[in-house]
Order: sequence, then structure tokens, then C-alpha cells
Amino acid sequence: MTPVDATVYVVDDDVSVRRGLDRLLRSAGHRVVTFGSAREFLEHRDIVRPSCLVLDIRMPGQNGLDLHESLVAAGRDIPVVFITGNGDIPMAVRAMKAGAVDFLAKPFDDKELLDAVQQAISRSASAHRVVPLRRGVSGT
Amino acid sequence: MEAVSSRLSFPGRRLASSRSALPPAVRIIATAVLVAVAYHFGARFGEQLRFLPVTTSVLWPPNAILTATLLLTAPRWWWVYLLAAFPAHLLGQPAARPSSMAALLFITNCSEALIAAVAVRALGDAPGRFDTLRRMAAFIIGAVLVAPFASSFADAAVVSGLKGEPYWLVWRTRFFSNMLTELTLVPAIILAITQGRPWLRRASFTRRLEAVGLAVLPFGMWALVMLAVEHSSAFRASPGVPLALLLPALAWAAVRFGPGGTSVSLLTTVLLVVWSGSRGNAPISTIQLAEGVLALQIFLISVGIPLLLLAAVIDERQRAQQALRERLSFEELLSHLSGAFVHVPAHSMDAAFETWLRQLGEFLVLDRVTLYRFSRELGEFIVGYTWSAPGVPAVSRVSVIHDFPWLVPQILREQPVGFARLEELPLEAVREAETFRRRGVRSNLAIPLVAGGRVLGSLAFVTVTAERDWPDELVQRLQLVGEVFANALAQKEAEEALRSSEEMKSAILASLASGVAVLDRHGRIVEVNDHWARSARDGGVFGAEVGVEGSFLGACWKAALDGVAVAREAMIGTESVLNGSRTGFSLEYAWGAPGAGRWFALSVVPLKGPDGGAVVSHTDVTERKHAEMEAQRSRQELAHFTRVSTMGELTASLAHELNQPLTGILANAQAAQRFLDARTPDLGEIRAILSDIIDDDKRAGEVIQRLREFLRKGEAELSLLDVNVLVRDVVKLVSSDALIRSITIHLDLVPETPTVSADRVQLQQLVLNLLLNAMEAMTECEREHRRVTVRTRLTEAPAVHVAVEDAGTGLRPGTEDLVFEPFYTTKHSGMGMGLSIARSIVEAHGGAIWAANNATRGATIHFTVPLSKAKTP
Repeated sequence: MTPVDATVYVVDDDVSVRRGLDRLLRSAGHRVVTFGSAREFLEHRDIVRPSCLVLDIRMPGQNGLDLHESLVAAGRDIPVVFITGNGDIPMAVRAMKAGAVDFLAKPFDDKELLDAVQQAISRSASAHRVVPLRRGVSGT
Repeated sequence: MEAVSSRLSFPGRRLASSRSALPPAVRIIATAVLVAVAYHFGARFGEQLRFLPVTTSVLWPPNAILTATLLLTAPRWWWVYLLAAFPAHLLGQPAARPSSMAALLFITNCSEALIAAVAVRALGDAPGRFDTLRRMAAFIIGAVLVAPFASSFADAAVVSGLKGEPYWLVWRTRFFSNMLTELTLVPAIILAITQGRPWLRRASFTRRLEAVGLAVLPFGMWALVMLAVEHSSAFRASPGVPLALLLPALAWAAVRFGPGGTSVSLLTTVLLVVWSGSRGNAPISTIQLAEGVLALQIFLISVGIPLLLLAAVIDERQRAQQALRERLSFEELLSHLSGAFVHVPAHSMDAAFETWLRQLGEFLVLDRVTLYRFSRELGEFIVGYTWSAPGVPAVSRVSVIHDFPWLVPQILREQPVGFARLEELPLEAVREAETFRRRGVRSNLAIPLVAGGRVLGSLAFVTVTAERDWPDELVQRLQLVGEVFANALAQKEAEEALRSSEEMKSAILASLASGVAVLDRHGRIVEVNDHWARSARDGGVFGAEVGVEGSFLGACWKAALDGVAVAREAMIGTESVLNGSRTGFSLEYAWGAPGAGRWFALSVVPLKGPDGGAVVSHTDVTERKHAEMEAQRSRQELAHFTRVSTMGELTASLAHELNQPLTGILANAQAAQRFLDARTPDLGEIRAILSDIIDDDKRAGEVIQRLREFLRKGEAELSLLDVNVLVRDVVKLVSSDALIRSITIHLDLVPETPTVSADRVQLQQLVLNLLLNAMEAMTECEREHRRVTVRTRLTEAPAVHVAVEDAGTGLRPGTEDLVFEPFYTTKHSGMGMGLSIARSIVEAHGGAIWAANNATRGATIHFTVPLSKAKTP
């Protein structure tokens, strides 16, 4: 059921959360790359597909929502699962409007996260398929 | 004498000048009428005194009446009296005499009186007085010798010219007749007018008896002479012998009754002889010739002149002796008086004043003596002491200022004021005259009482039954009396002031709500107030049971030995104040069962005096203490409440703080489950997972621990704290909140360890409030500016200085102090208690707090807390 070769990027400033998520996602068979801040993620150029982004909202520096918005603006439409310790409604609404796949309140159950990640990856995978096709059409 | 008399405020006191005071017109007219009547009857009487057929009278009273009038009256009114006498003169002239002669004779009579008056005034110092040798001599030369001598020329010219009588005979007749007239009648008339009534009033019974004897004696002697002449031819042959028999009476009068008695006696003798002779009685009947009359006149003149002079000399000497005696007794009185007031104790001062007013009044034979005290507060003289002679009404209550508007300023200028009779008062003293008249005062002398350069009052000497002269010498003496009284008054006032200040002092001591004891420099109690004594009675409180003369230090020592710890402290503190090593000492202590007991504050301050010592005050502060404890509890409850509500604000942040480790734990645990499901579980991974879970769990526990500590409710507990550590802890508490608000918190902490002795919870709350306040201030500003900086520094004080700087909108100018007031807020929500609580925490720790706008943006709240001498453990 798990598509192979999907990569899950995790951005969270809390090292313990980062390490826990890394293990959890790896146990589900994902490849995991973790980042301590939005800047670190942006500096990481080679984003492979299919992939998804597990993004903490509350971080020092650029926060999760801002990062997502800047990614959308840059056309880098990677599916995002937001995680936050503070599940307030306005933030969730804003996240979903910006095209987030899911919005999880910390602490969350492994199934919830893995489902959300799975959903995001499949969205990424379908987008991945469309793009080469379109590219192929145009190329032919 | 001049100097003293000029010190009296008006000159009318002396007899001569008092006569020059303007008499009322009625008085002049009455005098003029009296002169006219006397002149007329004098002439009628003079007609009788002739030895017929000699035409000239032996005595001619009208001339003496004119002379006496002029001597007693002011020269400017002489014309009135002389004119008044003229009709009387004409009326008395014999019908046969031509009117031209009558008129001319009147002129010569007047000329005699005028010459006499002018000459006596020129030669003597007091016309109308015969009480010194000089005055008597002036009278004899002016009125008895010069005036008859000169006027007789004109007289003789008129009579010889108009009637053809031999000039020198007329002159001689007139001269001796006028001499005898002036000599015998003028002093008698004047002295009867001026001295008669006073003499009658003053004279004792024996004196009056003696006077009667003297008056009867010439008649007795004369009767003897008559008998002798009748029966002895030897007497008949020599008229000088019977006349000589009259001398003893005259000599008696001269020695015992002065010029007045002598002149009256002389007059009696002359009248007796002349009356007897004019009726042809022996022995004068044998010499009924002009020569005989002349011889009689010469005899009487030559006897009269020396006798009058002798009387004057004796009188003068007697008065001098009397004055000396009076002065001596006055000086004795004065020395007793001064002596009496030297050592008078304050409580018998009043009695001394009363006694001496009476002594003075009796000594000076006055009717009333009153001592007025001048009250500077009222600007009024008030009756201090008064004495009245028996039967004389006491001094009436008056407004002195109102009733004596002229006199009071004189007294205040230290000027004695006196008058012998009301007429002497000057015109401007019209109100005084009215007041004195209403109160029946006849004469008055007011002496200012001056001591230490200020007028303390006035001494008033009053007569109501008779007028009285105030001779300069008496005024001088009474001024000495005044000085003694003034000094006594000043002393009394000083003692009263002292007493009232002492009364004030003990009243103040008595009104104090504290027990107060004054210690000497050895710690002995010299004075206590009622409250001290009362707390001693109520018992229990150490030290208060010792009264005056006891040792406070000793009492402390005893209490300390009995195990009262605070007593030892009090003893050491009091000793250090007494020896000057401390400028004050105070302590508070509880007494009695815990909860039900009372609180006392003991304060010892140095006694500011030359001999040192201290003042111990002992105050029941139970009420205050309870109020303080109540306030303390309220403060703590409020602080707790605000902490709880602060935590409410921080809930989101705290949730995040707890969520992080929980999320880590859950993720790790579920990952571990999954790893264990694998066929070959990676045990290394699982071990790492468990280690992370343990760390996260500890982390969550710390958060909860911090929260619990912060919300702890309880009394302040001082401990040594590192302010840097404390700041870091609090920043951790708000860091999640800061994250949510996109605020960065920057720390700039001093490298040394700033150790303070403080209550951890309170100091945390302080820093937390300041941080939250700073973060709140930046809600409205751009994200990139949202930065809070917390600095710690050490100051020279030494203290730690903490500054929390924001980049918000800053404080409205002028509100820098207001922000620390309770309920001051610019926020829509919030109680406005944050900074107020911050201030109370800082102040409770002996520090200071203030706010200031930054140079560029935002504001900074600063606070300091003194460093602890001890190091952080």
C-alpha cells in the first residue's frame, strides 16, 4: 500500500519532535529528511517527487504558514501536512485555504499522521504524473 | 528738678503755672465780684480803725485785698479785678470827698498793689507762698517795704494837693499805715484762702486745741494788761510794757504755726490793739496822738517782720526735716519693697503685690492704688491688682484704651502722667477729664512700669476725697517704686511663661498615645508620661514597670535574664543611643500569646540637650500590625490572582510547551511499536527512542514544575537568587507565547552573577509581568520590529539593574509615572495591575522601578534590586 520512493520532508524546530517523526515515518517505509527551520528547508534544493512536507507552524524565524505561502507563490506545489501544538481555528482555515492537505494538532496519533502523509504523497504522485504528461505533450 | 518735671507729660502740675491755665469765665467773674465785695467791706472796716481825730486809718484793708488778689491771680486778668474794685472804692468814699480825689486815691491804691505784685514776682519764686525764707523776704521787701514806700509819694501828692495837708506828714502816715496793712493782712488773707481748708482738714484734735489756745491767749493777756494798767501807774506811764506782754503769743505762733499762724496771730494782735485804742481804752488812750499811732505802727512792724521771717525759717526747716524724714521712711519702704520682691516665690507673688499696693497707699495717704498690666495681645491695660482705702469705691472695670485715649500713648512712651486737679488736664485730654469726673477722681498720677525696654503696665495713684500735688521728688520716688514693681511683674511674667511652657510640655506628653520615658545619659528615667505609667500598671510589657528614678537599662537587663530576647536587643540599642554611637534605634515586637497578643514598637532617640540622654517611646502598634498583615495577605492574594490570570494568558504558550515533549513522546513510542513489529527489531533504535522519551518526559515535568512553582500560594520567602538564571527561566516561560506573536526575545546578561536576596516567585512574576507588558506593547507594530531585549547590569550601589526594552509604540509623554498606578491601562482588556504589582514587588525588595521611552522606538522599564552580600549558594 505504501508507494515506494516517496520522500517525506519534516520541518520542526523541536529536535525531539523531529526525531520522533523521523522514526515514525521511517517505520512506515518513507524516506525522511528533517529540517530545524524554514530556512534550512529552503536551502535544500533537490526536492524529489513524489514527496510531502510535514510542517510545524510555530517556529522561530519564518513560521510554517509563511513558508507554505512562499512555496505556493514560488510555484513549488508540494503537498503540506501542518502540525501545530496550538490548534486554533483561524490558523487551520488559513492553512486549508492555502491548499494544505491536512492540519494535525499535537500530539497526534501515528495513524492520523501516516494517513495524512499518504494522502499528500498520492496527491503529489498524481501531480507528478500529470506534469510529465503535459510536458510530454508539449514536447512532442 | 527741671529734668524730672519735664518728664511729667504736662507742666501744669506746679502751682504757679497751674494758675496760668485758663480759668473759666465764671471763675474770673466770681473772683472779681468777691474782690469788689471784699474791697467794699474792707474799706468799711478800715474806717473803723482810726484813732480819732487822726484821719488816717491804722490799717487800710482794701490795699491788702488788692495786693493779695494780684499775688494769687494771673497778670493778664489783673485789669478785671482792679476794675471790679473801682465801684466798691467809689461806694466807700465819704460823700464830702470830691470824686476826682477818690479816683486818684484809687489809682494810688492800685499802684501800690501792682508794685507789690510785680516786685514780689520779680524777687521770689512763688508769689502767694510764704513757706521759705526767700519767699517771705521777697514778700517783705516787695510788698511791705518797696510798694508802700513808692506809692505813698503819689498818695501824699494827691492828699496834700487836693486837701492842702502837709506833704511829708501825709507821706509818713500813709507809708507806715500801708506797711502795717501789707505786713499783717496780705499773708493772713492769702494763707487763709490757700491753706485754711487743708489745714483744717489735716490738723489733729490736739493741734486744733492748741490753735484755739493761741487764739485766746492775746485776749487773755490783753485783759491782764488792762487790769494792770487800771491798777498800776507804772504801766500807765510806759505803754511799751503792756505791748511786750503780747510777744509770747506771737513767738508761740511763729514757732508752732508757721507764717500762717504768725500772720493770723499778728493780725489778731493788731486788731485787738487798734480796736481797743480806737475806743479810747488804756493804754493806747494815753497816746492818742499821731505820734502815738506812728509809734504803735513802728512797734508792730518791727515786731512783725522778724517774727514772720522767723516763722518762715522755722517752717522751712520743719518742712526740710519732714521731707528728710519722709524720704528716709520712703527709702525704707522702698528697700523693704525691693527686698520683698527679690525672693518672692511665684505662688505668693500676687499676695505680695496686694500687700505692697496697700502699704504704698497707706504711706502716701492715697485713696486708691491700682496696678494695670498691659496685655500686648489685647493692646489693652487690665487691672492686675488694686487697693482702695476704707470707704473708697474699688476701681471699676473700664476699657482703658477707650476711656484714656490721650493718657495711654503717654504711658506707652514710658512717660509718667500726673495732675493735682482736673483743671490741669490739657484740652486734648477731654475724654480723660470726663472719665475721671465720672469716677470721682480728683487727682491722679500714672507711672509706666517698664522692664527690659518694654511697658508691662502702669501704676495709678488716685485720690478721690481731695486734690493732691505730685511734687517732682515724689514722682521720682514713685518711679523707683515703679521699677521695682515692673521687675517683679517681668519676673512674674517670665515665671508664668515658664510654667505655661512646662504645662504645655506635660500636656503634650500626657496627650501622646505612646508611653514616653525620658532617660538621663546613664539610662535612668527622669520623666515619664501617664501612658508609660499606665502601661506599667497594665503589666506585661518589659521596661514600663520602672518609674521615675528607676533604670531603664536595668529593667531591660532583668527582662533579658528572664528570657525576653527582645529586651536584650532593646538594652543594646538604648545603650548605643545613649553613648552616641547610634542616632536612633527602634524595634517592633510581639507580646503575649501568638495570635491573641499585642504588638509594640519601641523607639529610642537621643535627647537633644546639653546633658545628653534619650527619649524612649513605647507604642502599641497592634492595630497597625494587624492592618499591615491584612494588607500583606491581600497583596499576596492579589499577586496570586494575577499570576493565575497571567497563566491564563499564557495557556496557549504553555500548551505548546507541553505539547512539544508529548508529541515527541507519542511519535517515538508509536515508532518503537512499529519497529518492534518488524521481524528483526532494531534494538539500538529502540534504545535511542526510549532515551528520547525519557528526556521528553523530564522536559514536560520541568514545565509543570515551573508552573506549579509560579502559581504557588504562600508567604514571601527570601532566598539567594541569581537574577540571570531567573531571567532565563521566565523567558522560557514566555518563549512559546513570543513565538506565536512573532516576537524575538534577546538577552543581554551581565557576565558576573548578580545575586540578590529575594522571593523567587515574586521576582519571577516581576520579570514575567515586564516581559508580557513589553510583548503586549508590540501587538500593533511591524513583525520585523517585534523584539524584546532583557538586559542585566551591575550598578555601583551595589545593585542589579534589569531593563526590559520593547520596540512598541512607547509611552504617552507624561505617563512615565502613571503606568505604575493600579488600574492604569491602555489596553482594552486587562486590569492594569501588572506594572503596579511590579512596583510593589520592587519596593518590597528595597529597589526602584521606572519607565522611559527609548531614543528610537518603544519604551524600557528599568528596575533595580540591591545585591545581596552573600553569594549564590
